[in-house]
Amino acid sequence: MSMQAALPIAMIPGNSIIHRINPLAKLVWVVGYVVLAFSTQNIVILYSMAVFAFILAPIAGVTKPLLKACLILVPVGSSLLALQIIAPAVERPWTEVASLGPLPLYGDGLYYGFVLLGRIVASLIIALVMVMTTHPSDLFTSFAKLKVPYTLNFMLAMTLQLIPVFQREVGIILSAQKSRGMKGTGFAAVLPSFVPVFVGAIERVQQLSISLESRGFGSNGVKTSYRQVRGRPSDWVVGIVGALVVAGLSTYSIMRGTWSLAGEIQFSSVFVFVTFLISATIFAGIILAAILFSFKK
Amino acid sequence: MSDPIISFTDVTYTYAGTDEPALHSISLEIQPGEYVAVLGLNGAGKTTLGLCVNGVVPTMLGGELTGTVLVGGLDVSEYPVREMSKLVGMVFDNPEFQMSQMSAAEEVALGLENAGVPYEEMRRIIPETLELVGLGGFEERSPLGLSGGQQQRLAIAAVLAMKPQILIMDEPTSNLDPIGKQEVFDMAAKLNRERGMTVIVIEHEVEVMARYADRVIVLDAGRIVMNGTPQEIFSRVDELDALKLRVPESAALARVLGSEYGLWKGQVPITTEPAVSAINELLGAKNA
Amino acid sequence: MPDSTTTDVPLAIDIRDARYVYPTGNVVALGGVDLKVERGEIIGIIGQNGSGKTTLTKLFNGLLKPTSGSVIINGIDAAKHTVQQMAAHVGYVFQNPNHQLFARTVQAELEFGPRNIGVTEDDIAVRVAEAVEFFGLQDVIEEHPYRVSFPIRKLVGIASIVAMRPSIIIFDEPSTGQDHNTTQIINDLMRRLREEGTTVVCVSHDMPLLADVVERVIVMKNTEIIADATPREVFADKALMARTNLQAPQVTEIALQTVVPFGGPVALTPAELAADIASRVGRKAKTASPAAEVAS
Repeated sequence: MSMQAALPIAMIPGNSIIHRINPLAKLVWVVGYVVLAFSTQNIVILYSMAVFAFILAPIAGVTKPLLKACLILVPVGSSLLALQIIAPAVERPWTEVASLGPLPLYGDGLYYGFVLLGRIVASLIIALVMVMTTHPSDLFTSFAKLKVPYTLNFMLAMTLQLIPVFQREVGIILSAQKSRGMKGTGFAAVLPSFVPVFVGAIERVQQLSISLESRGFGSNGVKTSYRQVRGRPSDWVVGIVGALVVAGLSTYSIMRGTWSLAGEIQFSSVFVFVTFLISATIFAGIILAAILFSFKK
Repeated sequence: MSDPIISFTDVTYTYAGTDEPALHSISLEIQPGEYVAVLGLNGAGKTTLGLCVNGVVPTMLGGELTGTVLVGGLDVSEYPVREMSKLVGMVFDNPEFQMSQMSAAEEVALGLENAGVPYEEMRRIIPETLELVGLGGFEERSPLGLSGGQQQRLAIAAVLAMKPQILIMDEPTSNLDPIGKQEVFDMAAKLNRERGMTVIVIEHEVEVMARYADRVIVLDAGRIVMNGTPQEIFSRVDELDALKLRVPESAALARVLGSEYGLWKGQVPITTEPAVSAINELLGAKNA
Repeated sequence: MPDSTTTDVPLAIDIRDARYVYPTGNVVALGGVDLKVERGEIIGIIGQNGSGKTTLTKLFNGLLKPTSGSVIINGIDAAKHTVQQMAAHVGYVFQNPNHQLFARTVQAELEFGPRNIGVTEDDIAVRVAEAVEFFGLQDVIEEHPYRVSFPIRKLVGIASIVAMRPSIIIFDEPSTGQDHNTTQIINDLMRRLREEGTTVVCVSHDMPLLADVVERVIVMKNTEIIADATPREVFADKALMARTNLQAPQVTEIALQTVVPFGGPVALTPAELAADIASRVGRKAKTASPAAEVAS
């Protein structure tokens, strides 16, 4: 019996206050987070946003899966900080605060690294909280209310649904090839195996389209919806408050340039040096482990 | 006798891009409430015949159809498949390929939503339909996490919700284990007997069909070569052999006993019970 | 009868207390299984989906490594070798040929496996020609595997494994979705492989097929082997069949309700049962052929 491949990020069923908020109100917050995160370089705001989003996790009861999904931030964060310290993505002049042999380390690079990381961390956490507390069908039902075309909506939902199915199919197909002594594990060796994946996908789509058509898919009449997504007054409040806060802070931030605190916050040379060593070591370690793992396979 | 619910009149159909017709001069009438088994080798035209009834052939797949297929009095070539879906529900051999939703309830809801059935009515129909196929309480389960037999019954529920009069099942159990097969056939028999639903099953499992079907149709290379009751058809063991089709083992047994040993004179048994009683009679006569 | 302990030939399959637990979720898929299969045996594995059949067979060629216990195939520890290395010993015919085929032509498909395991080009030609002959693939040899009909595609899938000449071949649900005609060809093939000394393992729900070809049936339930006997013994065990929700072939059912209570055979084929009934009433066959078939 084949195990159903599980997505690393999926809805965690629950009935918390966060779960019950209307998907669109939550979407306002996610979009708002992204807008605000990219309109400011103020790390106090960015990390406050991240902390606030993170506080929602225990309320929704999704702390553990959230932390697990956040592991992706380790390689992203370490590479980002290490690279920014040696090659800042801001305009020169850069202030060299320390050096590692011939390699100069820049303080402003570290600040900007923290900005980039803060943007990613804040947006990622809020998005994860939303995904983990919203039934995809409710989200798609809400999209339908926003007049997203039915077929497009259906395709989005379907794609989400098919990811684990295709993961499993690919697993079976690779097993079948290995059983015939297929050599190599690289992309080139595996590529031909994708012929069966595509053939399988086409067959599936053909069958599904007949099955859907037989259930009235594509009829032009009025469609109804089985999932009812309510918009209570509290949902409106959540959505409007989110929108107002974002609009206010981003406008202020843009008026202040980017509201960067790079001038006010000065990192000591020891701090920059140590941060560089740690992040570079972690990053190098991950790459090394990945290489070793692929050889072992 | 009432009017046939399905009637084929001299139907010949050729798929787009092929030369050989998949169906050849098919004429056939099926009465409401009949349970019909369609047998034949792979490629004999069984699936094509089924697809004609819900109009996928020719409206979705194109190709060339001559003759007429009337279903519930409607000419299938003149109505879109989604219209026919109110009359005909069809399920296929791979239940997973028919699943598209996040939960069993939504899978059943899909057809109803497309037909614009109001929410309150759906709330009533969906649990009812799931109950009918033995999946009561499965509303929130993910279709992809169900067993094969459950998935296939869900696929059937998804078409039953639209209240069709005809259910066509194309090798519905070929991917299922014995429990799953049993579940699906028991349910189809129940729908046929208790609800008077017309059932058409395309199947290789002759022993099961001998038990349930009112009528057996045998296709070979796109033509109907046999059409009769299971008793009539499965008695013709040599002809079925020549067509490389299986017969119930009880019938095969009777044939060997008859032709090799001259021990079988009466009706060929197509199910276990008559075979057992006839043999016990034979042995008892000897012992007495 | 020669004592098998005196020879050095290792068992085809020697599994001791093999357990398999999925790395995620702690789901036990196989719980402490022991299985010994001699070379040249032909066995069937039956049980409902989820009973552990597929997990067990995937241990044979190393697609899964046991969480604990040992899996020795032809004297080789399957857990310590890659699937590619095991491919020379164990052929695995997947249920759906669409999962297996990918080459541009049937010919290339048949050559793929043998070439992978280092067969010389001359030998490959011989093996492919043999497989083409046996499966009757002469007319499709230049075709794309996906351009041929589904039954033929199934045969190509099987032929691509047979051409590797593994000493053990696993068939996963070979008759699923196939008509009687194709099932018969697969049936004949399994017999022939057995005659040539290949060990054949057939995982199937198709009881008539198993009754026809296998000599030993392994019954699985809830991740364990709960019976290991001849098809006759298994089919005659009503309690076992009921416990596993399996059904004996119809002719076996008839035999159980007629001749078996009087000491007759748990017949596996109509011909066998007919011969027994005839002998009980003192009738001789008009021709010799069916009785000869019964002997096997």
